[in-house]
Amino acid sequence: MPLLKIDSLEIEVEKGTTVLQAAMVNGIEIPYYCYHPALEIVGSCRMCLVEVEGMPKLQVSCNTFVGEAPPERKIEGKYDMVVNTHNDLVIQERKNVLEFLLLNHPLDCPVCDQAGECYLQDYSFKFGNAHSRFDEDKRVRPNEYLGSQIVINHNRCILCSRCIRFTREISGTSELFVEARGNKSKIAALEDKPLDNLLAGNVADICPVGALLSTDYIHKNRIWNLKKQPSVCQDCSVGCNVDVFYQKDKILRLTPRENHDVNGYFMCDIGRYGFHRFEDLDRITTPMARSNGSFSAVSWDEAIRKTADKLGDEGAKIAGIVSPFHTNETNFMLGQIINGPTGTLPQMNDEEIIYQSGFRISNDRSPNRRGMSDVCPALLEDLVSEIDNQDVRMIYVLDDGIDREIDDVWKKILAKMDFVVVQTYAMTTLAQSANIILPGPAPYEREGTITNDGGRVQWLRPSLPMKGESRADWEILMMVMKALDKDAQDFTDIGQVMKDMGEKFPAYDGLSFFRLGPHGMSLNGRANG
Amino acid sequence: MSTFEPVLTSNITKENSHTLDFYQSIGGYSAIKKVLSMSPLEVIDVVKASNLRGRGGAGFPTGLKWSFVPKDSEKPIYLINNADESEPGTFKDRLLMNKAPHQMLEGMIIASYAIGCHTSFIYIRGEFYREYMLLEKVVAEAYENNLLGDNILGSDYSLDVVIHRGAGAYICGEETGLIESLEGKRGWPRIKPPFPAIEGYLQCPTVVNNVETLSCLPHIITRGADWFQSIGPEKGPGPRLFCVSGRVKNPGVFEEPMGIDLKDLIFEKAGGITNDNKLKAVFPGGSSSAILTAAEAIDVKMDFEELAKKKTMLGSAGVIVMDETVDMVHACLNIARFYAHESCGQCTPCREGTTWLVKMLTRMVKGRGTLKDINMLFEITDNIGGLIDFSKGSYGKTICPFGEAVAWPIRSFVEKFKDEFIKYLPQEKVAA
Repeated sequence: MPLLKIDSLEIEVEKGTTVLQAAMVNGIEIPYYCYHPALEIVGSCRMCLVEVEGMPKLQVSCNTFVGEAPPERKIEGKYDMVVNTHNDLVIQERKNVLEFLLLNHPLDCPVCDQAGECYLQDYSFKFGNAHSRFDEDKRVRPNEYLGSQIVINHNRCILCSRCIRFTREISGTSELFVEARGNKSKIAALEDKPLDNLLAGNVADICPVGALLSTDYIHKNRIWNLKKQPSVCQDCSVGCNVDVFYQKDKILRLTPRENHDVNGYFMCDIGRYGFHRFEDLDRITTPMARSNGSFSAVSWDEAIRKTADKLGDEGAKIAGIVSPFHTNETNFMLGQIINGPTGTLPQMNDEEIIYQSGFRISNDRSPNRRGMSDVCPALLEDLVSEIDNQDVRMIYVLDDGIDREIDDVWKKILAKMDFVVVQTYAMTTLAQSANIILPGPAPYEREGTITNDGGRVQWLRPSLPMKGESRADWEILMMVMKALDKDAQDFTDIGQVMKDMGEKFPAYDGLSFFRLGPHGMSLNGRANG
Repeated sequence: MSTFEPVLTSNITKENSHTLDFYQSIGGYSAIKKVLSMSPLEVIDVVKASNLRGRGGAGFPTGLKWSFVPKDSEKPIYLINNADESEPGTFKDRLLMNKAPHQMLEGMIIASYAIGCHTSFIYIRGEFYREYMLLEKVVAEAYENNLLGDNILGSDYSLDVVIHRGAGAYICGEETGLIESLEGKRGWPRIKPPFPAIEGYLQCPTVVNNVETLSCLPHIITRGADWFQSIGPEKGPGPRLFCVSGRVKNPGVFEEPMGIDLKDLIFEKAGGITNDNKLKAVFPGGSSSAILTAAEAIDVKMDFEELAKKKTMLGSAGVIVMDETVDMVHACLNIARFYAHESCGQCTPCREGTTWLVKMLTRMVKGRGTLKDINMLFEITDNIGGLIDFSKGSYGKTICPFGEAVAWPIRSFVEKFKDEFIKYLPQEKVAA
């Protein structure tokens, strides 16, 4: 492997590695704008210039590939390439480029949403000049909408062309282009072909400055006020890795988190803006019991006792409705309680979309169908006849919180039931037919593991606190279990549920949040995986 | 030297010099007969031996450029004839296309054969509509006479020529910008590597040669590399078309040997300065070259090496003459405007720097400059394209050489005519 010397560091790198990549991996900072690992290299921002020994010009490190030098051309007899990333020449060149980039920039950081995570701001502090030498009038242009969700502030744009390359190479939709030429150049979209594809939100993420903004987040908050929680998107079975930015009990935005086994660098707008669904939802925050056709709040003790009294009837068969929207642990726990047939609510299918780059939005818009089937293997297609056969009179439903119309099949099932328990977070039509409602957390409040359709188990981490008296889903089920059987195993945290689940389902053996880490773990090759 | 006879333009004054009949009557297309009996490698060797250097501006050795094309390429190989002549002060390719188009076409066939290309393009400047219409006819004529198409002159070599019109951008004369444009994309030069010889048009090996370079080829083949090498200086020999314009009595294209004295070019060939005014400054090689003062200009030979010593370049050999009546600050602003208008906008220094220069120079012309501005002009030009001394890290700040093409002439204006810039400053500021 070629031996590369960057500054004082000697490293062996794969042939064909760029200097920029080698530097990044080894903790040497080379500033850059136009380079993005998922996009074609254009080398136009000129920010990543470094000195390469033996080359008269400074080289853009994003497009300088380290190769094997013939023995007679090795530097100092051993190096295939020697790179200097912070000598006077390079430092001065960075100052020069930053000076150019800031000529027409409005320097409006105090009102800019990018402030705090802006590469123009960061690099100016680190590498730039303290004063501007530009005595002329700045070029000023009005903001424009590129699509219904994306607005561009041309004055802040540095024309790195990342957004253009994104629409050409990743989404394959090519809405964006450069209009005009030279200093008049600007990012534009045609009026009759706006930037309205389902990946559009990503251009605001990959914009290194505050030029492209999502209308959903613009002027809402400042980034340093927000907490960031790495988690997993729950809007389809792909399970894109995300960072959830939230303040107190409110999510402000979602951004994709890099995971090359799942989503690469991006996410779709369905997931990105999906969290709004839970904002104005009429939430159930206390246990409720129905008497005489109306619900009244009851204490947890009472709710659990009422539930256990009914379910615990000698010889009673209990049907269970597990849910692909719930975690593996929750579904597993329900599987442990019920003794009758198991089913799930009808799947709600949507369009499957696969983009040019292979980025996929699954037709199955539930996040955990695979995991649910793994830990509840006895799922029935035809639940109705089995309920008839076994004369089941009680049902425990893990509700997915989606307010769907109840079809005839379900009406029939519910009509048969003497006792219905619904564990949910919203007053859905289904919940209204319950005898007891047990309040659980909504998505983004839940913790556990979910398995995507590629068989990757991922750590779903909670971002928001649970509302009111609601409790973790596995905890509710454990309370019910304990009430039914005093000798049942006592779980004090979700890790123990996972351990028990692993014992019963070997594919999930040895699972822990620690082992899953930020990028999850593939079930492929594991027993019954 | 006195025995020099023009070859490229020897027949341009004759009637119908653009027709196939005429070209064949003076022995045209005999070179390709000779070439078709040689191996491509032999052709490359002859051109290498002739030491022909590109006539477009950079002066890269043509034979060497060809030899970079992979010999065992599985992809098709393309030749592009760069007829996007847009360098200010340059109008030689247009003349060649108008008056000796078959000579150019024969050169294209020779070059294509040498590099193993079977589809060749003429990328012609959009404004050259007349030349475009003519070339369409010329190419059709060549097809009819089996000089193009399948099995040229009964050999097993086939070549198609496609004419593509540019859309009016200076930067599309830069080879990678041209290739992008030919692919139907925006004319933004590509980052190198990969070089066009490896990955050019449609990611296939591509050679881009200038009209005049190609027009030299038939003569090199017919008369031999030694003949070509014997004309002018050893390191850049051959006949050369010099375009002399500006404040001269007799502007035009002059075919002269490389290494001719600039003084002779201006005062003899072009008939001297208009109204017998005093010479002030000269662009020796198009507006992208640094200007020479009168003192420098009367003492320089027009060849690559000599001009490099004077920290300028032969470029496209577009000699623009300025006399004592020319206001150098206005001339400088004019050049800056051109480059700001033509900057493609891709690289930061060029996109931002060119407009900064225009804004600053405009302010100076309006009498609102300061002494500091003169210093800033140096700084800005250095940051766009650097010094002309090729010291380490002082150039190559942009993807394509446009950065240097802006920086060098403007820097030379300020450097060599600083007094005139100072005259534009408000007097009180000078005193302070």
